[in-house]
This record gives sequence, C-alpha cells and structure tokens, in this order.
Amino acid sequence: MPDVVKIFALSTCPYCRRTKRFLSEKNVEYEAVDVDLLDDAEQERVLEEIEEMTGRHSFPVVVVGSEIVVGHDEEKLKKVLGL
Amino acid sequence: MTDGPPARVFCPVCSARFPPKEDVAEGKLVRCSVCGQLLVLRAGNGEWSGERYAQLTDDEIRDRVNGFAGLRDYHFSEMKEEILEGLLAKRDAFGDFYCPCRVEHNSDYQCPCKPTRGGDVERHGKCHCGLFLKGMKRNRSALAI
Repeated sequence: MPDVVKIFALSTCPYCRRTKRFLSEKNVEYEAVDVDLLDDAEQERVLEEIEEMTGRHSFPVVVVGSEIVVGHDEEKLKKVLGL
Repeated sequence: MTDGPPARVFCPVCSARFPPKEDVAEGKLVRCSVCGQLLVLRAGNGEWSGERYAQLTDDEIRDRVNGFAGLRDYHFSEMKEEILEGLLAKRDAFGDFYCPCRVEHNSDYQCPCKPTRGGDVERHGKCHCGLFLKGMKRNRSALAI
C-alpha cells in the first residue's frame, strides 16, 4: 500500500499553492492541512509536530512515509514520490 | 505645531518615528523611510503622524512594497504577483497585509516584516517569503569602459 501523502500548508502561501497544484497535476492523492485556519489549540499542536519534524516553521511541509520535504521543491517531490 | 521641520513622523504600519525629508503640511503625502508606506500627514497632540494612504486596498500594498524596494534598492522575485495575492488573502482572512508565508498575523509581520525592515535581505539575500531580493551591485569599472 503506498504511503499517505500529507501536506502542511498555509492557505495564503504561494509556495504551498504551487506544491498542491504540482501534486494534483501528477495525480497524487494527498491530505492537506491549512495550519493557519485551524483553531488555536489544534494549531499549537500541529506547529509543535512540524517543529519536531523539521526544526522550524516553514511551509509547505510534505510528508511521504518517513520522508519530509520542506518548501516547494519539485525535484525532491519527484524523488520521494517515485515520479 | 511649531515652525520648521518636525523631528519625527509616526508611521502606523511599522510604528517607526522617522524624520521626514521635506517640509511637512497637513494632508501632504510622505513616504515612511523605514517600511515604504505612503502616508497622509496629520497634525495632532504635538506631533505629526501619518494616516495610511488607500488603507487596506490593493493599491496600498502594491505601493508599499514598491516604495520599500525603491528605498533599499531591492528587486522582486518572479513570484511577486503570487505573493501579492497571498498578501491580499492574508488581509481578507486576518485583517491586514501580514506576511503570507508565516502563520503569525501581528504587527511585527506587516509586510515588509520586522526582520526584513531590520536587514534580513542584506544578511540572507532575500526576505522570508522571497518577495524582496538583494539588488545586484553595479560593476562600475565595466560601466566606465
């Protein structure tokens, strides 16, 4: 079974939009979380999770199994997604 | 108000009190030398303050980022239009032109954000969201040939 692709994004971030568009164009199914639209408690929890994974608060963060891609990087995405 | 140029004008965008470069008068337009915001001068309470020109409009943020880039001799990312769309989305969702690439929405992150006003572009070559890029230095010897 393929890994679930998850993207942590900001609804206003142009790089996040590009990453979502790239995944859609490649017919990759993904679960997106717009962190800025979460309620305060949930946002705090998710930001802690992101900081633990990446050491910072930069967006987008794409998680594919144990692989993490920070920022809009099509070459890295192709590699981790086997495209 | 006393005669002569005032010591400072308060900018409501970046909260700086900056020295205006020219004579001031009620209703005159001046540009904040710290964040690039265009301001309508207002006298009151013994000091000059600025009212945001075209507040919260597309024109305001376009003029501000162009003004800031001009003041610092920065140039823009090829993603300028997408980043401006993000700034407008931030205004619609959170009330003002906060950096679209940050989760925070408070006055420190009004575009240009506090780290950018404080020299991040000089240090890192670009601001956090990549809107402002460090300008290329002119090669004077090459120009002289």
